[in-house]
Amino acid sequence: MKTLLVALTILILTGCTSTPVKRNFPSVPTELMEACPDLKKTEPTEKLSEVLKVVVDNYGQYHECKIKVDTWVEWYKTQKDIFESVK
Amino acid sequence: MWMLSFVPDALLYAVVISIMFIGIALYVISFFTRFIPPLIPYSGIARILGTILTVVGIYFFGSYSTEMSWRAKVAELEEQIKVSEAKSKETNIQIQKVYVDRVKVVKQTQIVIQEKIKEVEIKIDSECKVAPEAVDILNEAAAGVKK
Repeated sequence: MKTLLVALTILILTGCTSTPVKRNFPSVPTELMEACPDLKKTEPTEKLSEVLKVVVDNYGQYHECKIKVDTWVEWYKTQKDIFESVK
Repeated sequence: MWMLSFVPDALLYAVVISIMFIGIALYVISFFTRFIPPLIPYSGIARILGTILTVVGIYFFGSYSTEMSWRAKVAELEEQIKVSEAKSKETNIQIQKVYVDRVKVVKQTQIVIQEKIKEVEIKIDSECKVAPEAVDILNEAAAGVKK
């Protein structure tokens, strides 16, 4: 009786399946994980050149941040395509 | 099936085939036992046991085939994942390189523009005087909306 029970249990357990395949989330370049800095503020001044320097710096920051966002979009699209290629 | 995944392929195959063939052998032998008088009482038992073992063996052979096809699929998927992970790493390196190069160009452009401002600094400052309100408005715009 005991043998029959063990045999039946093993027989039933043969119907169980497992999914041993593990996938890792793709890593992101460290540069992209850094947040965009705040825009610079102008010190009180009457000189237009000083104001202009800060404005130009801020434009530069914008361009860097734009590149970062564009890169994130590209990273997502590429990694998504790679991820979906596994079926 | 998860229990079967711990058993090596060859051993599993040997056990399944053994059960099936022992069953068939017992079934066939049970027909000959009727000609050997001391074994006649065991003829029926041998036939029943042979039938049960054959059926169980066939069932296990089916399970074994399914298990093997799953193992093949898992192996294929693991290989695909391995390739995709390598591709993902390679893509990351390329993306990172392009990003660094583009930022470098922006920084270089910034330096050139700042130099241009320095060249015309005196001219700009002599012809224009910035009102403090203008600086305040500019700073207010730069601060944006804080949460």
